[in-house]
Amino acid sequence: MSRFFATGSDSESEESSSADEITPKATGTTFNKPTSGLRNKEAFTPNLILCCPLRFRFEELTNIIKTIRNAMKIRDMSKCLEEFEQLYRAFLKSKTIVDKEGVPQFYIRLLADLEDYLNQLWEDKEGKKKMNKNNAKALSTLRQKIRKYNKDFETEIASYKEVLNSSTNVISLCRCQDEESESDDDEDSEDWGSDSVDSGGESEDNEGAAASLAVVFLKKYKDGRRKRHKKIEQVEEEVDEDGEAEEGGWEKVKGGVPLVKEKPKMFAKGTEINSAVVIKKLTEILQARGKKGTDRAAQIELLHALSGISNENNLGQGILVKIKFNIIASLYDYNTNLAAFMKPEMWKKCLECIDELLDILFENNNIFIGENIAEDSENLAISDQPFRVRGCILTLVERMDEEFTKIMQNTDPHSQEYVDNLKDEGRVCGIIDRLLQYLESKGSTEEVCRIYLRRIMHTYYKFDYKAHRRSLGLQGETKSEQDQEESEGEDSAIIMDRLCKFIYAKDRTDRIRTCAILCHIYHHALHSRWYQARDLMLMSHLQDNIQHADPPVQILYNRTMVQLGICAFRQGMIKDAHNALLDIQSSGRAKELLGQGLLMRNMQERNAEQEKIEKRRQVPFHMHINLELLECVYLVSAMLLEIPYMAAHEFDARRRMISKQFHHQLRVGERQPLLGPPESMREHVVAASKAMKMGDWRTCHSFIINEKMNSKVWDLFPETQCVREMLVRKIQEESLRTYLFTYSSVYDSISMETLSEMFELELPTVHSIISKMIINEELMASLDQPTQTVVMHRTEPTSLQNMALQLAEKLGGLVENNERVFDLKQGVYGGYFNRGQYLAKIQLFEYLESEGAKKSQY
Amino acid sequence: MASRKEAPSGKSLDSPVRQIQIEGLVVMKIIKHYQEEGQGSEVVQGVLLGLVVEDRLEITNCFPFPQHTEDDADFDEVQYQMEMMRSLRHVNIDHLHVGWYQSTFYGSFVSRALLDSQFSYQHAIEESVVLIYDPIKTAQGSLCLKAYRLTPKLMEICREKDFSADGLKKASVGYENMFEEVPIVIKNSHLINVLLWELEDKSTAADKHELLNLSSSTHLEKSLQMLMDRVDEMSQDINNCLFFIPLQYIQRRQQENAQRQSRGEPPLPEEDLSKMFKPPQPPPRMDTLLIASQLSTYCQTIKEFTSQNLGKLFMAEALQGTSSYS
Repeated sequence: MSRFFATGSDSESEESSSADEITPKATGTTFNKPTSGLRNKEAFTPNLILCCPLRFRFEELTNIIKTIRNAMKIRDMSKCLEEFEQLYRAFLKSKTIVDKEGVPQFYIRLLADLEDYLNQLWEDKEGKKKMNKNNAKALSTLRQKIRKYNKDFETEIASYKEVLNSSTNVISLCRCQDEESESDDDEDSEDWGSDSVDSGGESEDNEGAAASLAVVFLKKYKDGRRKRHKKIEQVEEEVDEDGEAEEGGWEKVKGGVPLVKEKPKMFAKGTEINSAVVIKKLTEILQARGKKGTDRAAQIELLHALSGISNENNLGQGILVKIKFNIIASLYDYNTNLAAFMKPEMWKKCLECIDELLDILFENNNIFIGENIAEDSENLAISDQPFRVRGCILTLVERMDEEFTKIMQNTDPHSQEYVDNLKDEGRVCGIIDRLLQYLESKGSTEEVCRIYLRRIMHTYYKFDYKAHRRSLGLQGETKSEQDQEESEGEDSAIIMDRLCKFIYAKDRTDRIRTCAILCHIYHHALHSRWYQARDLMLMSHLQDNIQHADPPVQILYNRTMVQLGICAFRQGMIKDAHNALLDIQSSGRAKELLGQGLLMRNMQERNAEQEKIEKRRQVPFHMHINLELLECVYLVSAMLLEIPYMAAHEFDARRRMISKQFHHQLRVGERQPLLGPPESMREHVVAASKAMKMGDWRTCHSFIINEKMNSKVWDLFPETQCVREMLVRKIQEESLRTYLFTYSSVYDSISMETLSEMFELELPTVHSIISKMIINEELMASLDQPTQTVVMHRTEPTSLQNMALQLAEKLGGLVENNERVFDLKQGVYGGYFNRGQYLAKIQLFEYLESEGAKKSQY
Repeated sequence: MASRKEAPSGKSLDSPVRQIQIEGLVVMKIIKHYQEEGQGSEVVQGVLLGLVVEDRLEITNCFPFPQHTEDDADFDEVQYQMEMMRSLRHVNIDHLHVGWYQSTFYGSFVSRALLDSQFSYQHAIEESVVLIYDPIKTAQGSLCLKAYRLTPKLMEICREKDFSADGLKKASVGYENMFEEVPIVIKNSHLINVLLWELEDKSTAADKHELLNLSSSTHLEKSLQMLMDRVDEMSQDINNCLFFIPLQYIQRRQQENAQRQSRGEPPLPEEDLSKMFKPPQPPPRMDTLLIASQLSTYCQTIKEFTSQNLGKLFMAEALQGTSSYS
């Protein structure tokens, strides 16, 4: 026996360690009945063993593994336990090698298999009862042990299992071909005797195996899978034809491959399939749900099989609906971790299932579903009465939507995969639409509100190009028929309006209404309906209480505010744009506030848990607001506001900054030792600001609107041309104002005609701007109507007076500070210089008085 | 408040020098020195020579320090001074070192450097003074020379190098009594007076009175600018003080005490802060003191300047009025 094992393990370790040794063997005989002599020779070549402690250790391990597998086959738990402990010790001994080489595949394979096997045994209540006491005890200890032990190899086992899963398709394809050979194999194995089966199987594995882990796993998996599939097929066959002929084969396999026996059987042979039985089976399957150690993938498959059965037996729509509900639920259950997202095939399945479920619901008007229907008042089978099924399709669809978001969050936004995934959005929307129709006829207002919100959430951020084009009267230009078709649909604005108004009227939960309002505003803003958007925002009073909302709603609020700001900018309402964007931009965390990414600098402040939560809040990439656009809009509006203001208050000590961020950018620009031509968007704005300071609108214009900026920012707007025109006009106007502020002291009078020529503005505009400035007492001048000139009054304070004012300001601050110190610590630090300050102040006042007197003299 | 103004200088009792008598020669030499070497805000310095007669310090001669250049780093100033004095003795000139002079830019001279060097002078030669010459004011028509000495109190503190708040408080040194001004008399020998009388008749220089110049804004602006800079420094200093005191703790304690009082409980004892916090190095007060002193000097000059200017303006108005009436 030991020889057999030695040879088996030998071949394996050789193959995994060196490819050279494989080649001669691979060309040689088959492995099932190995020419042991040849191998033995090789195995005992002394220098091979000596130079390879790895092989030696692995040999030991494989030996033990063999024994365990054998023990598994004969269900000898105590032996299993014993051997496992031995294996554990042996593995520890070979630790150094393992560290160097990585955990050997066969070891992981065994661990995974053993755990699965034990779990199956554990579930098989009847089988457990039959076991003798020793065995049962060993089973439970071993099960606990292996669970604990496997934790250390979690990743490896996971990857092994992953390989299994991903190869499902391949295997199902080749299942048919394999089947016959498989049964031969099984028979073979039986012939081989219980202890050699595994060695046979093992070497068979090795035969097909290349060095790659995946393939080894896959192959191994195939074995197990084949058996499982066989079993399922068997069930189907049994069910369909009550096939008796298969029985023998069934038994045989059972004997040879104990894995299969542990699987719960669908129906006993010959059972009459009726709804009661199916329901019973269903509840049986469902009871395993949520329990530890339940194979979730298998459960999904079982449910699918069950739905197939019920379909074939025409058990009625009620049951089908019920099963579908459960399939979807268990699909959602598949990932226990909230953060993990569905695998693509799961997701496809899920979409299909929901589609089918909706099909059924639409076809059969007599099905009532609802989460309030009690389990025992369900009517699944009796077809003359309307079916009553417990379950909430709305929740399922909502969950589906969330899963979709999760998938999008977890896909690299710059990959083709993202685009592919995004294509599913259409299906998601389709499902939501169908459900919406369904619920409109059947659901309660509450449910309608919820599904409406879902619909809104999928609509609000999309720019309606068709409506836009239609409004421009360019309908005929659509190229293909499909476009034509699409453009016939309702305007998204109308849809939004209808859905939102319904929610405003009917909703009783605050959250849905808040979200709906925000989305509505966003949509308005996106389509440049500034006044509606603003009014809605003001009417909702959301600004007052948004801080009490939950983070996702706050993110939505931030997005809405930003969109509102950008909308205002497009409409030329610079001040409104600036105010709307101020909060988001001034914090410097726009990215975080909009849910478009995590800031690196906060990484150390939050732990992994928080990070996970924050990651879950991220908005999927296709809904992002372009941050550069946002910043540019903000900076340009700040520039248009700040530069004239700075010019007007050049000497004002009390001058407040309108935009800190803008000033920061200016300072950064100033700090540059060598000023090259602007590259980035920010540099462009800074350069433009400098030009504007001098009243040079042409340069300013060329910095703000040029090809670089067009491609970076301005072309992203739907109405690019309008925005650019607006911008030019604003630049002209504000430059004119800046010019007047800066250079008015140089002029005695200036003709408006000259100004209008300089800034390429019409005379009335110049007139209105100057009048406004005069009325606001920004410009000390008057207009001379007959000659169309501005006559300066020259009453601005002189630089000396300005300086005196500044000094007074500073002294005020100083005294205030001083008093604070004095209050705090009387006598200790305040004592002497306090008096000094007061004296200085008094002296200053004396001086200022004299200054005033002097002024009056002039 | 008025009483707090600078101590009337002539009455300082404890000072060994109550009056300073300067030869016209010295004044001329100082002016010449600045004219030749000082430009803009650059400062020129030199040594005063003379002797003490009773409580009167007579300054009879001076010589300038050479302008420091980067090229001759190994230039020995002490050596130079000794050499100079020896040479002067050879030509029979007073060679007693009695102080030093320095030019100033818009009245900014109160600095740490001045304090330190004056201290070392006064420490070595008790009677030494520092003469401050303001070229800008002089250029406007009124010779501005001022002699200062450190007060004995300040000398005491500088000797002990205790610039902490407590030390200054104990010595009751404020910015007003850091320096004492010694009155100056300019005296010429009779021979020179005679020469001057003679020259006056022969003088061909036009009667140009810079004194009556009405324009004032540049000077004022400059002064204000400097004043503001000092104020900024002062604010910064006060901020440092604010952060030096463990603010939060004190505020909390005060609030707590207020609450306790409102509840009628006895207030918590004011614990020794140094026990609870590691006492940080208290910020030295000397710089603040100097800034305050400088501020006060600025204010003084500005005040003088404006009052003079006002006078001039009134005069000009009166003149204009009469001319327009006539």
